[in-house]
Amino acid sequence: MRPRFLIATLLLATGLAIAAPKAGSVVTVRVLTAKVMKAPKFIGPAAGDVSRGEQLKFEEAKGDWYRVSGAISGWIHKTNLTERQVTLSSKPGAEGAGAASRDEVELAGRGFTPQVEGEYRQKNPNLDFSHVDKIEKTSIDPGELEAFVAEGKLGGGQ
Amino acid sequence: MKRALLVAALAAVSCKVNLTPEGISKAYRGIKEARKDLTPENEYYVGRAVATNILAKSNYKYRDESGFSSGKLEGMTAYVNAVGNVVAMASLETPHDGDRPTPLAGWHFVVLEDKTINAFAAPGGYIFVTAGAIEQAGNEDELAAILAHEVAHVRRGHALGSIKKSRMAGVMKEMLDSSVELDKQALGTLTEAFDGAMDDMMDSLLVKGYSRDTEFEADSVGLEIMLKAGYDGSAFVSYLKKLNAHQATGSGGFSATHPKASDRISKLEKKVAKAPKVTVPKARINRFKAAVLGVE
Ligand SMILES: [Zn+2]
Repeated sequence: MRPRFLIATLLLATGLAIAAPKAGSVVTVRVLTAKVMKAPKFIGPAAGDVSRGEQLKFEEAKGDWYRVSGAISGWIHKTNLTERQVTLSSKPGAEGAGAASRDEVELAGRGFTPQVEGEYRQKNPNLDFSHVDKIEKTSIDPGELEAFVAEGKLGGGQ
Repeated sequence: MKRALLVAALAAVSCKVNLTPEGISKAYRGIKEARKDLTPENEYYVGRAVATNILAKSNYKYRDESGFSSGKLEGMTAYVNAVGNVVAMASLETPHDGDRPTPLAGWHFVVLEDKTINAFAAPGGYIFVTAGAIEQAGNEDELAAILAHEVAHVRRGHALGSIKKSRMAGVMKEMLDSSVELDKQALGTLTEAFDGAMDDMMDSLLVKGYSRDTEFEADSVGLEIMLKAGYDGSAFVSYLKKLNAHQATGSGGFSATHPKASDRISKLEKKVAKAPKVTVPKARINRFKAAVLGVE
């Protein structure tokens, strides 16, 4: 188990790109939240949101975009996904890490974790983390962004 | 083969190495560079703390705080986030070897209430730009240049790269050896490394800056990103020219941490000349005036 775990670590560490998965295989959302889009581009109407740990079925790839089905069907940029399992909790490393066998987990709960942040905050009580909590919760509506891009004659995400 | 090597490496680490910082450091040579080896989760926690340290230095004074509280971005901040997200998305279409993965919590742009000209990129996609820097920019394309330079710093893992390697050795050891639930000793080691990593990164961000080559890389990748997004590359040079004029009379802010603007210009000029010409539409000019200068 250790060596396998180590290999997983190193693969992750070196950031090896993984080829598109097989049709019908399961992919998992690795970011905290992501938009599933109606078309394979960043801007425009979204089909809905998915969050970390959610599993989707891979259907096909178009460049860096994957068409997926499941609770929400549509297109999602591949950088939001992993073929490894991730923790089921919304925050990385939080409880739920035990759900998958350890060497399959995307190193969740390793190294700098919520436990470490907690300890760091205790040692630095002057630091107010409530601001970053608020900041990271906001997101841009892809529909509004589409209008912004069109009005400014930009090419973003097309 | 690889596997055998790894097992051997692990055995060496657990049996033969003396556990002084030098010993650990030696054993983990090659797998202890923060910009390569920290997981996206690790980057997320590091980024949150760097962001908080930057905000603390600014006494938590930033624009449109109420929008962040309500979850619906407002005012200049909504505008800067629109430009910033367009640029950040374009950065996915100009990938480079060794790019950091997409930040777990997405990209966030914060306008610091500060008249000096400066901008900072914390790991994990938290980007800070002073009101002074935005006012210095005369239009959206120059703002896009500032943000693209910062997005490039995040993508290339520059802040993480300033974490001292000796610290990373201990972190990698704990990552590989400790169980998911950290014991007191492991937690102590990691927290100490985390604390030290904050010092390393804040020192680079605010005091001594990155190497010149690191900044030139952020400029060249930043230019690529803004062009991909559809912005006018010559705005990067026109903004740097303003910084150059500013550097002649003032110091502090970005001047303390970045190469001379004139040097940055000479590195970029040729690339800009080769880029396709962009005609900036009136709407882009007007919305900058409305959002930043309050002119309808
Ligand atoms: Zn820079």
